[in-house]
Amino acid sequence: MIQLKKIDKYYDSRFQRTFILKGVNLEVKQGEFVSIMGPSGAGKSTLLNIIGLLDEASAGEYYFWDEPAHQIKEKQKVMYHRSHIGFIFQAFHLIDELNVYENIETPLVYRGVKGKERKALVADLLDRFNIVAKKDLFPSQLSGGQQQLVAVARAIIGSPKLLLADEPTGNLHSEQGEMIMSLLKKLNEEGMTIIQVTHNEKFAQYGTRIVKLVDGLVQEDYPVTNRS
Amino acid sequence: MHLAMKNTLKPIIRNFIRKPAINLINLFGLAISLVFVIILSVYCYNELTTDTHHAGGDRIYLIGKPGAGMNTPAILKPHIDMEVPGVEASIRVAGTWQAPVFQTENGEPITSDLIFSDPDFFSFFNYKTVEGDCAAALNNPMSVVITKPLANKLFGRNSALGETIKYNNEKLLTVSAVIEKPTGNSFLNFSALTSIETRKILQPSEGEFKEWGWSNFQTYLLLGENADPTQVAKTIFSVFPKEFQKWVEEIHLIKLKDVYFSNLQTFGAHHVSMGDKTKALILLFVAVLILIIALVNFINISSSQWMERIKQTGVLKVIGATRIIIFRKVLSETFLVFIAAVILALVIMAGITPIIQSYTGIQFSTKLISSPKLLSILFTATLVFSLILSLIPGFSISSSKAVNNLKRSVDQNSKKTYLRNGLITLQYVISIVLIAFTTLIYKQVEFGSNNLVFNQENTIAVKLTPQLDKNIIKDEFEKIPEVQNVSMSQFYPGKQLSSWGTRLKLDGQEHEVHFTTFSADAEFFSIMNLEIVQGRLYSDASEKDKNKVIVNETFLKEFNIENPVGGTFEMNNNFDYEIIGVMKDFHFKSVENAIGPLAIINQGYASYGLATIQAGDFNSLSSTLKKINQVASQISPAFPVEVSFLDSAVKNMYESEVRFRRTFSLFSISAVIICAMGILAMSIFASQRRIKEIGIRKVNGAKVSEILSMLNKDFVKWVLIAFVIATPVAYYAMNRWLENFAYKTNLSWWIFALAGKLALGIALLTVSWQSWRAATRNPVEALRYE
Repeated sequence: MIQLKKIDKYYDSRFQRTFILKGVNLEVKQGEFVSIMGPSGAGKSTLLNIIGLLDEASAGEYYFWDEPAHQIKEKQKVMYHRSHIGFIFQAFHLIDELNVYENIETPLVYRGVKGKERKALVADLLDRFNIVAKKDLFPSQLSGGQQQLVAVARAIIGSPKLLLADEPTGNLHSEQGEMIMSLLKKLNEEGMTIIQVTHNEKFAQYGTRIVKLVDGLVQEDYPVTNRS
Repeated sequence: MHLAMKNTLKPIIRNFIRKPAINLINLFGLAISLVFVIILSVYCYNELTTDTHHAGGDRIYLIGKPGAGMNTPAILKPHIDMEVPGVEASIRVAGTWQAPVFQTENGEPITSDLIFSDPDFFSFFNYKTVEGDCAAALNNPMSVVITKPLANKLFGRNSALGETIKYNNEKLLTVSAVIEKPTGNSFLNFSALTSIETRKILQPSEGEFKEWGWSNFQTYLLLGENADPTQVAKTIFSVFPKEFQKWVEEIHLIKLKDVYFSNLQTFGAHHVSMGDKTKALILLFVAVLILIIALVNFINISSSQWMERIKQTGVLKVIGATRIIIFRKVLSETFLVFIAAVILALVIMAGITPIIQSYTGIQFSTKLISSPKLLSILFTATLVFSLILSLIPGFSISSSKAVNNLKRSVDQNSKKTYLRNGLITLQYVISIVLIAFTTLIYKQVEFGSNNLVFNQENTIAVKLTPQLDKNIIKDEFEKIPEVQNVSMSQFYPGKQLSSWGTRLKLDGQEHEVHFTTFSADAEFFSIMNLEIVQGRLYSDASEKDKNKVIVNETFLKEFNIENPVGGTFEMNNNFDYEIIGVMKDFHFKSVENAIGPLAIINQGYASYGLATIQAGDFNSLSSTLKKINQVASQISPAFPVEVSFLDSAVKNMYESEVRFRRTFSLFSISAVIICAMGILAMSIFASQRRIKEIGIRKVNGAKVSEILSMLNKDFVKWVLIAFVIATPVAYYAMNRWLENFAYKTNLSWWIFALAGKLALGIALLTVSWQSWRAATRNPVEALRYE
C-alpha cells in the first residue's frame, strides 16, 4: 500500500547540505499500525509529512497505492487528502471559529457530500465518540482530550484508508492519551491503516510495528510482540 | 448557495466577535471613510457636471470673458438678432439689485430671487414643469414662473397656477407656471422668473434699454449647427458703436457648460453663482486620498489577520481544501466585509449628509445619494476592490505549503514588511500634507478678512426696503443713544456693485475709463475709516457737493493720471460728475480679487444703512441690535428687516473660501483620524507579533521604558521618513494653491513643523497605548503563548 524507496530529504544552505532523511526504505501494508519513534530531530515528522503528501522528498521513490507519488500533481494530492488520508496533530489544529459539529463536517463539505448524508454521518460519529452533547461547543471550550477526540472524528469522517497521527498524545496528560490510543487501536482493529509518530514507549505498544529513526536513518524495524 | 453563505458567513461573524477591537476598526474605519469618499465624490461630480443637463447646451453660449465681466447692454440683443448671422436665437437674463419681497393675500412676506428674461428662456434652459406651460409662460407681462419650493412657501400644498403674488407690497404678478428645481447643479439660481416686459413695468428705467454703456444683462446665444463661435464673436463686436468698441476690447463666447467654472465677475449678482474647478478638483483629490488611506488600512489589517489565521488555512488544506477554495474563502470574506461597510456607510450617510451639508455648505441634491447609478457604481467598485484586495493575502496563503502554514512559517519575508511599512509611511505622508494644507487655508482666510483695510468693528448694516426711507431711518437711528454715526450708501460687503464705462474729461484731454462705482454719503468715509490722500471729501450738508466723486489710488495708476481733481465723467451727454478727491485703496471686493479702479459718488442713492455703535459687551451689543431691529420693523412692516454686523458680512463675502476651508478641514481631519485608526490596528498586530520577543527581553532584564521605546521606535522612524517626503510635496501644492490669490499670506516654516509635530504626536499617542499594554504584560504569560 505504501512503499518508500531510498527516500532522501535535505535542505541546501550556502555551504552545506543538511540531511533530514537519508535513504529511508519503508513498506507499510494495509491494516498495519506503525509507530515511528526516535529522538527529537530524527526526521519523524518529515517522514510522516512525506507519506501524507504534505511534503515532497528530495530524492527517491514513493509509491502511494502503487502510484508514483513523486509524480502526483497538486490536484490529485487534494483528491487523496479528501478521500484516502486523514490527519491528526499534536496541537489538534481544530478551526477556532467552527464548533465541534462544523469542524467534523468540513471535510465532507469539501468532498461534496450532500447535506442530508452529511448530517447522518456526523451524527453517527458524534454518537460513536460519545460527544453528542458537545456538538455546539467551540474548541476553546473543550479539554485537550476532547479536542483531540474531535480531531480524530474529523480525520476519519471521510473513512480514509490511511490515518496519520503526528504525536497525537503529545499535548495530553496520560489518561487522555490512553483514551486516544485505545480509540486508535480500535480503529485499526476495524481495518484502518495507521501510522503514528510518538515519543512515548508505552503508546508505541498500541501498534503492531515499531520503526526507530535516528538522524534520518531507519535504525530498527520490528513487530510489537505483546500488544497492549 | 445557502450552504456556501452559511459556511463563509458564520466564521466571519465568529471571528468578528472573538476579536472585536480589530474588526470594529476595520469595518467602521472602512465604512466611515466610504461615507466621506462618497459624499465628496458626489459633491465633486455634481460640481463638475454643472449645467450639462440642458439639451442643446453644446450650441448655447454666454457672452462674457472668463475672469472678467459677463454683463452686456440690453440693446445688444435686437442688434444681434438682426445683424449677426449664425445666431439662431438669443435671450437676455438679468437679476435684481435687491431681492424683492413676495407676499400672498394673507401670507408672510418672503424674499425671492427674481430674474428677468425673454420668453425663449425655456428653450435655452431645461426645467421640469410641474404646473402650467413654460413655453408660453412669459408671453404676457406681469406673469411669473416660480419654483416648487417657493410655491410651497407661498401657497402650501395648493395649486399655485393662476394665483397672484404681491411684488414688493405694490404690484401684482400672476403665476403662469411652476417648475422643479434641477437635480443637477446650475450656475443660474432663481426662485422666480418673469419677462423683460415685466421688468420695464416693475423697475422703469429709461436708459437701460437704450444706452450702450448700461450693461445690466447677460446675453445667451443659440448658435446654428455650423456656426463658428469665433466668427460670431467677431461679428458681435462689430455691432457695437465705435466709441464702445474701445472699451469692450473684444467679445468672447463661453459654452454653457463652462460658464460655472469661468470665474466671471458677478459683482455679487444673486442669480449667478460661480464654481471653482480647482477647489472641486482639490476636494476630489482629498476623496482619493481618503480612499487610499482606507484601502491601506484594509490591506494592512486583513493581511495581518490572515497571517494570524494561517494555521487554520493549513488545516483546511490538509483536510482537502484546494487552492481555489482557500482563495474563494479569502475573497468572499473580503467581499462580505466590504459590502457590509458599504451598507453601513449608506446608513450612516442617510443621517449624516444633511449635517455635513449644513456645516460645510457643500450643496448637492440628496437624490443623488440614493440614485441607482451611484448604487451600481458602489457595487461594482466593491467587487473590483475585494478582488484586488484579496489578491495579496489570498495568493500568499493559498500558494504556500500546508505544512508551512501549520508551522506558521509562511515567508514573512522582508518584501512584505517593506510593503506594509511603505504603506504606513504613505499614510503619514498624506496626513502631514493634509494637516499642513489645512493650516495654510486657515491662515489665508484669516489673512483675507484681516487685511481689507477698512473698519469692520462695531458696525451694523441695515438693508433698506421700499418702506425704509433713508432719511427717516437715519433720523430714527440717530435717536438711539448707543448709535454713534449713521451712513447711507449702496455698499455692502459681497453685494452687487455696478460698473461703468465712460469718458473722463481732465485738463482738456479725454480718457476712456471704466470702474466700479457706488453711491455713498460723507459719513461713509468716517465709518469705514477711509483716508483721503488728495483733494477733499464732499460734505453731506452742502447741496453743491451732490454728484461729486472720490476715486481710489488704483484709479490713478490704472489710467495714468497724476492729479484727477477737477476731472468730470460723462453721463447722458453731460459732464456732471466731478472728481474732488482721492482715497486710499481698500478691498471693496474680497481679497481674492485685485483692487480695481473705484469711484464713490455722492448721488444720494442708498440700499444699506451703516451705523457704528458704542463698543460694549455681548449683552449691550445685542440689546442695541434689538432696538435697531425694532425701529426698522416699525417703519417697514411689509418687508422683512435684515440687520447684520459688518464683520460677519465680510466673513460671508468669503463664504466660498470659508466653505472650502470647512469642507477641506473636516475631510482632512477625518482622513487623519482614519489613518490613526489604521496605525492603531497595526500597532496591535506589531505588539502581538512580538509578544514572545518582548517576553524574552523582559526575562533578560529589559525595563518597561526600554520595551516602549523599542516598539515605538519603528513608528517614529516612519513618521520621520514621511516628513521628509511630505514637506516638498506640501510646499509645492501650497504654492500652487496660493497662486489663486491676488493677495496671499506667506508660507511660514512653522506650518510644516506643526504638521510634522502633529503627525508624530498622533502616531505616538495611538501606538503607545498598545505598546504600554504589551510592555507591562507578565512575561511568563507572553512566553507561555506558544
